[in-house]
Amino acid sequence: MSFKLKYKHIDEEREIPKENYSIKDLLDELELSSQTVVSKQNGELVIEDTIIENDDEIQLVQIIYGG
Amino acid sequence: MQCTKCGNPKVIIKKEQSGQMLCKDCFIDSIEKKVIKTVKKEQLLDKGDKVLVALSGGKDSVTVLEILNSFRKRNIIDICAVTVDEGIDNYRQDGVDIAIRHAERLGIEHKVVSLKDTYGITLDEIMQKDNHKGSCTYCGVFRRTIINKAAREMGATKIATGHNLDDEVQAILMNYLEGNTNNLGKLGAKTESKAEEFTVKIKPLREIPEREIGLYVVAKELEVHFDSCPYAMQSFRGEVSQAINDLAENHPTIKYSTLRGYDKIKPLFKGEFKPNYSQGRCKRCGEPSSNELCKACSFLEELGV
Repeated sequence: MSFKLKYKHIDEEREIPKENYSIKDLLDELELSSQTVVSKQNGELVIEDTIIENDDEIQLVQIIYGG
Repeated sequence: MQCTKCGNPKVIIKKEQSGQMLCKDCFIDSIEKKVIKTVKKEQLLDKGDKVLVALSGGKDSVTVLEILNSFRKRNIIDICAVTVDEGIDNYRQDGVDIAIRHAERLGIEHKVVSLKDTYGITLDEIMQKDNHKGSCTYCGVFRRTIINKAAREMGATKIATGHNLDDEVQAILMNYLEGNTNNLGKLGAKTESKAEEFTVKIKPLREIPEREIGLYVVAKELEVHFDSCPYAMQSFRGEVSQAINDLAENHPTIKYSTLRGYDKIKPLFKGEFKPNYSQGRCKRCGEPSSNELCKACSFLEELGV
């Protein structure tokens, strides 16, 4: 079970590590705040509670930069 | 899970402060309506205004342009735009190009003004100087001066900036923490100066959280410059912003309550702490100034430009 992650210059296949693995879990793993990014699942905007499914393409767009 | 307004299951935001969940279309609609409500409530626009949008190409200024354009389409106002090129390598040009494309798309009068052409020095060059006071200090003052001049040259009656809820709350707390009662009287949705050369400034996005503006541009597929200014790393504003965001985790309405509280006490700052500026002219450039030299020219003299 895997998904594709697109974030800035990252474009890679990643394993889904557990059941009910959400975008929020992914953001925590990447140490990103849901306050600074928005998430797309297969091209459509979704909230961070969304569960990542097999073969999903998850794109994270950073919308807020520090400073 | 479904949109609180229309029942669409494709929810794109769950608002912590209200519990509201919205689909893409209802979210876009809610942002536009809220900005229009601010414009009306604060009387930011008058029929026949020519509004100069300070257009960096970032999410906030592009959103202001997009929403104010709905007033232009209804022939209530005219719009023009200015983009300031501070001269920051590997950063600014993308924003400038995006701003140019938005102006062309909407068919509005637009000009790009560089620090180099105006003052003979770029921000990168200033930062090479040993006696510099930090990039944000110069950037803020020079940009403001350039935008004010552009407003006069283009015949604008208002200047619209992209300040959002987060920006405004940061400014309130920064000025409070620094004890700057002069500046505390100057914040707000609409600021007017005694000097008639300074065009009225309006902040239509003042009640929209920064994250929602980011989501709005992505949802509307507007081209914006998402990038970090290389000089923005260690500002006091950044520290204050972090503290507010930490508090907002457990207190999701805190930014709104800070803004509301400020709006209630602002008349006191304007009355009790009214600065007693003498209104003169800068001896170097002729711009209105309370001192012999305006802020921009005093920086230029210090930098030996």
